[in-house]
Amino acid sequence: MPVIDYKCPNCGSGMVFDGRTGALTCQGCGRQDNIEGIPDPLEQVSAEDQRREYQCNSCGAAIMADAVTTATVCSFCGSAAVLGDRLTGELAPAKVLPFLISKEEAMVAFRKWCRNGLLTPDGFMTADRIKGITGVYVPFWLYELHNRVEVHGHATKVRTYTRGDYQYTETQHYAVYRKLRLNYVNLPIDASEKMNDELMDKLEPFPYERMKGFKSPYLAGYIADKYSYDEQALLPRAKEKIRSYIESSISSAVTGYTSVSFTDKQIDTTMKQADYCLIPVWMVKYDYNRSEYVFAMNGQTGKVVGKPPISKAKVAAWFAGVSGATFLSLKVISWMMGGGFL
Amino acid sequence: MRKQFALLAVLFLLAAYLTVPAGTAAAAETKKLIYDEAGLLSAEEYAELNEMANKYGAKRETDMIIITSNNPEDIDVVVMTQDFYDEMALGYDKPHGNAVILTLDMKNRDVYLAGFYKAEQYLDDGRLDQIRYKITPDLSNGDYKRAFEKYIKTAHKYMGIKPGVNPENPLFSLGFQLIAAVIVGGLVVGVMTFRTGGRVTVNRRTYEDASTSGIVDRQDQYLRTTTTKRKIERNTSSSSGGGRGGGGGITGGGHSHSGSRGKF
Repeated sequence: MPVIDYKCPNCGSGMVFDGRTGALTCQGCGRQDNIEGIPDPLEQVSAEDQRREYQCNSCGAAIMADAVTTATVCSFCGSAAVLGDRLTGELAPAKVLPFLISKEEAMVAFRKWCRNGLLTPDGFMTADRIKGITGVYVPFWLYELHNRVEVHGHATKVRTYTRGDYQYTETQHYAVYRKLRLNYVNLPIDASEKMNDELMDKLEPFPYERMKGFKSPYLAGYIADKYSYDEQALLPRAKEKIRSYIESSISSAVTGYTSVSFTDKQIDTTMKQADYCLIPVWMVKYDYNRSEYVFAMNGQTGKVVGKPPISKAKVAAWFAGVSGATFLSLKVISWMMGGGFL
Repeated sequence: MRKQFALLAVLFLLAAYLTVPAGTAAAAETKKLIYDEAGLLSAEEYAELNEMANKYGAKRETDMIIITSNNPEDIDVVVMTQDFYDEMALGYDKPHGNAVILTLDMKNRDVYLAGFYKAEQYLDDGRLDQIRYKITPDLSNGDYKRAFEKYIKTAHKYMGIKPGVNPENPLFSLGFQLIAAVIVGGLVVGVMTFRTGGRVTVNRRTYEDASTSGIVDRQDQYLRTTTTKRKIERNTSSSSGGGRGGGGGITGGGHSHSGSRGKF
């Protein structure tokens, strides 16, 4: 039986995960079950059951799910449905960061964020056109990458002094060598094809201390996808992401010189570990001026990212205001220096 | 909405400020300010320049005078200027008053600029030199009208700037101020637009495991020292010497003036 649903043992209503209390909560009678305390129904799923069509256990309707969906909500009766066979074996997540921000709080936070935009059009700021808000567990790989870095370079110290009628410039040349060990842990790379990488990168950081061992009831009532790319496929992206960190670590390791140029850099990266984790994201779809805008909110910290529409009028007004103020202050400065106001 | 109105108001003021020409008080009567004895200008050019000199001079309360001469008696250009001022009793505010004079000696191809009273104060030797450098190329090319226009405009501009300040400071130029304002505005708006989508708030320390990361080995090996020396230029000679002729003086009638003399 690949479809798992969560029925309240008291009243039989559907139960969903509530981020506030951290418990599986009954929508009917309010019963709350501690997820860490109850057995995970996922463990009872038999592996040989490989049907590709899923039926809702509550109403019997076919569950609309695309190839990567691991958790969804039945579109007919609204019951939470977790597709068990997509969460076991190779596809079993190691950890999950549960939602902390509820749907209502997410709406409030998003509206507040809309009002803060200095360049967003007035019509957008009222935030009354939210088309849909969906809680999604996005698959991420958390990498542990160990780097051995060796660099050779040429550095100089420059000193100038005056003796008599001459100015002397004394340059001391050094050969520098540094060997660094740089270990990065829990470096997140989003593994979902559907999600915009740039958007997901901006959602960081995630509070890892609230990370839990994976249990399927955390997904109840939310959408979840399985990973589209495995840890090997995303390793180049992870390396690219740490590249700038490594560069800045190298330059901060060589200090006290006037100039440093590196002749040779050797970076040897090994992947120690990659954990498959589910990260909570509220996806907000917003209609404005016949186009759709997508925003993402960190389900733990409430940080909102995404490109809002830009009001040309506001851009022009800010440009005119800033330029005008600069112009006037330059005029005043030149007037004070005796340049005359005209 | 109110914010936008305020911005519009600022814009409007700015536009008004830029379009309305400063000081519309026109001179009541047109004085003869150009004495073109060498006949370098056509009748139209003469009328145009004379009017221009009247207009700009009135704003600075200074007569802007141009004298050209074929100099048959071969008088020195400085003496010629001084005598002319004394004889004609030039001056905007009174006879022997505020005046700036440009004299061209066509025989010796000498040019002399002199500032009297207010113009002596505002157009000191240094500033007259700056005006002379500006117009000399046009004079050499025989483009007298252009040179005279430049002279009138530059003298007008410099007299609007407090004495003792370099009048060619880029801060005083309208073009520089406008360009700087546009660049600052563009930068601010650009940064604002760039930041609308949210920023990356993690850095290299976020994911670094501080307990196991760090410098394992380091070597800093001294190789050699190179030294270069440069002679220090000392400005002992009195302020910019080259190409400067004459300077100011006192006329036979006892009027002190600033001056700048050169060839063209």
